[in-house]
Amino acid sequence: MKFAIAVFAPAHAPASRRALRFAQAVLAEGHEIVRLFFYQDGVHSASANVVFPQDESDIAAQWHTFIQQAQLDAVVCIAAALRRGVLDEQEAGRYGRPAANLPEPWVLSGLGQLHEAAQAADRLVSFGGV
Amino acid sequence: MATLHVLSHSPFTDGRLASCLRVLGPEDGLLLCGDAVYALADASALRHPRLYALEEDVQARAVVAKAAVEVVDYPAFVALTLTYAKVNSWL
Amino acid sequence: MLIVSRQAPWAGPAAREALDIALAGGAFGLPLAILFLDDGVFQLQQGQAPAALEQKNLCANLQALDLFGVEAVYACQHSLHVRGLAAGTLAVEAQPLAAEAITALFNRFDEVITL
Repeated sequence: MKFAIAVFAPAHAPASRRALRFAQAVLAEGHEIVRLFFYQDGVHSASANVVFPQDESDIAAQWHTFIQQAQLDAVVCIAAALRRGVLDEQEAGRYGRPAANLPEPWVLSGLGQLHEAAQAADRLVSFGGV
Repeated sequence: MATLHVLSHSPFTDGRLASCLRVLGPEDGLLLCGDAVYALADASALRHPRLYALEEDVQARAVVAKAAVEVVDYPAFVALTLTYAKVNSWL
Repeated sequence: MLIVSRQAPWAGPAAREALDIALAGGAFGLPLAILFLDDGVFQLQQGQAPAALEQKNLCANLQALDLFGVEAVYACQHSLHVRGLAAGTLAVEAQPLAAEAITALFNRFDEVITL
């Protein structure tokens, strides 16, 4: 089956970790993830500038590794991201900001990508709050 | 076309569970994760037959379930989302 | 897709971001509806003056929902009632729904996002 997974929580929130473990289980069970979509405070889960203490699970880093290894389509909502200071090189340049914190394979795009993914998938599962 | 409702906020500080129970259909499922598993401590509030809780959250919080509940791990969570026609997470 | 908007209007960007999901969905020509639930019904209150908080008016967007392909706007009757709001006095026309009707509404759509 095909899943679209939407993440609305930052890396430090339990809901982001829950989304990651769910996504990993989706693949482990032999299903497909058509897209991960990060919205609202979920854009912070994509930030490369999140630093966890060494004795804690680094969920932001685990998201990045998971997406890279599974070669997933991971889209961060551009409007939500700009408002919260999550920028790729192009947007940092466009708005004259000193740093970019959204490396590849994350992609900034619009909310249409959420609807497109929901249509392509058999299930849309959202994670957020706490 | 039943819905799996997913909650993660404590019912003791937040109104999501109360709102969810108001609109929960008899065929709908209710999955508690995060602090929502604290709802299991009060059996009188949860008489829903299709009640599930995420194992790690129950274990981590030492919650003693006073309501009849099926405890699920992540593979079972994935299977549950396919048992129901759609998933509605109360973000 | 059914979007369930539960957030009060001026507690941060959440209410607007819920609305933005609805507005973005219109382009796909699929069934799209929005339900105001819990504090979300405060978005429908008449006479709001968000300029006092340096915020843009949400109601203008809400009134244009049909232009964006949102076929129906609903409000939870219970949520309105306990907050002292009457369906006939709202800034935006919303059909009030009892609990059973909300259960049925969830069943009508392939996807639901509650935020």
